[in-house]
Amino acid sequence: MAQASVAALRNEDPEEVEKEAGRSSTITVVPEGAAWNGVEQTMLKRRSIRKYKKAQVPGHLIRRMLEMGRFAPSQGNCQPWKFVVIRDADMIQGIEDFCVGTCKKLSRGIDYYTYPAGSFKYFITRAKAKLFNRLQPNMMHPVPVSGITAIAEGRFAVFHKAPTVILLLMDKRGIGVPAIDIGICGTNIVLAAQSLGLGTCWIGFSKFLNQSPEWCARLGVEEPYEIAEAITVGYPVGDPTHLIARETHEIGWFEGGKKEILY
Amino acid sequence: MALLSKQERRHFPDWDDPGQCQFHSVTIDLEKCDGCKLCTIICPANVLELFGDKAKKKARVKANARGCISCNNCFAICESGAIEASQHYDFVGYYRQLGRGEFSKPRVF
Repeated sequence: MAQASVAALRNEDPEEVEKEAGRSSTITVVPEGAAWNGVEQTMLKRRSIRKYKKAQVPGHLIRRMLEMGRFAPSQGNCQPWKFVVIRDADMIQGIEDFCVGTCKKLSRGIDYYTYPAGSFKYFITRAKAKLFNRLQPNMMHPVPVSGITAIAEGRFAVFHKAPTVILLLMDKRGIGVPAIDIGICGTNIVLAAQSLGLGTCWIGFSKFLNQSPEWCARLGVEEPYEIAEAITVGYPVGDPTHLIARETHEIGWFEGGKKEILY
Repeated sequence: MALLSKQERRHFPDWDDPGQCQFHSVTIDLEKCDGCKLCTIICPANVLELFGDKAKKKARVKANARGCISCNNCFAICESGAIEASQHYDFVGYYRQLGRGEFSKPRVF
């Protein structure tokens, strides 16, 4: 019986369903070549902002952004997120100092190119780095590694002296792959911020805070939660909204019994 | 079938070899650059700096700069349209970039 009704549900003609329900809707197609709408413009103008004005962001705008995060889709509607908002400069400086300290330690341990070539230190650090690279190929990509060096050498900041930092905590028990849900939730947050005239930047190095029992206790990061990402928020310096060029990516397009490769 | 050969998958590039870690660079039109400094402070890789006389400073890529990720944030903030990245970074072996086409501004379909 149950099986039969499922089959019937699957076979129902969508147009018939609408007609029976007295809820017929028409399809509206945005014409080819139409100008970008507001959401599209927001997406195109969003850049990762790493230099902020000193002015604090009003609290209601942060609440407004988090509200958009709350309505993000998640696997099985499990909503595996929790937010921590930090708006005190000394606390932000505290988490900055901790992450910089971690980068310094890491840099000493793996950045063989900062030691004189041919030295014993170069040799031993290089061997360690190569092994670590193999074990953690995502984290040890040359881009984040050069970021770690820059932070360790004081050429770059972790939280960019932003007036507000949002930590995205992830419930590790989330359905499927909760890290994806955190990404989707954060995307809602940063796009909302962009539409409100705010700049944001994703801070992956914030994950280092998970290694500090003191900071976890102070921030309220407890099992089964962990810091998955952070987002810095503030008013951008300058006007970084000129539409940029970027590489295209391969698209496999299957239609009419053929496969096409588009870019 | 795989896009990376077995050899490539096993090869992790040497971070200190520019031949294996090809970070990219930006082109700066010094005629257009008005030395406003904004690009140097927003560059995530911190590879830009100002040079020249006080009155007519210009931006340039630092010598031995490492880490340009072609994010084009410098282009996004440049009021005079003087600076642009037009090629993505690439690495050899395990990190070789795959399935990428030309740089292009947002397209309307």
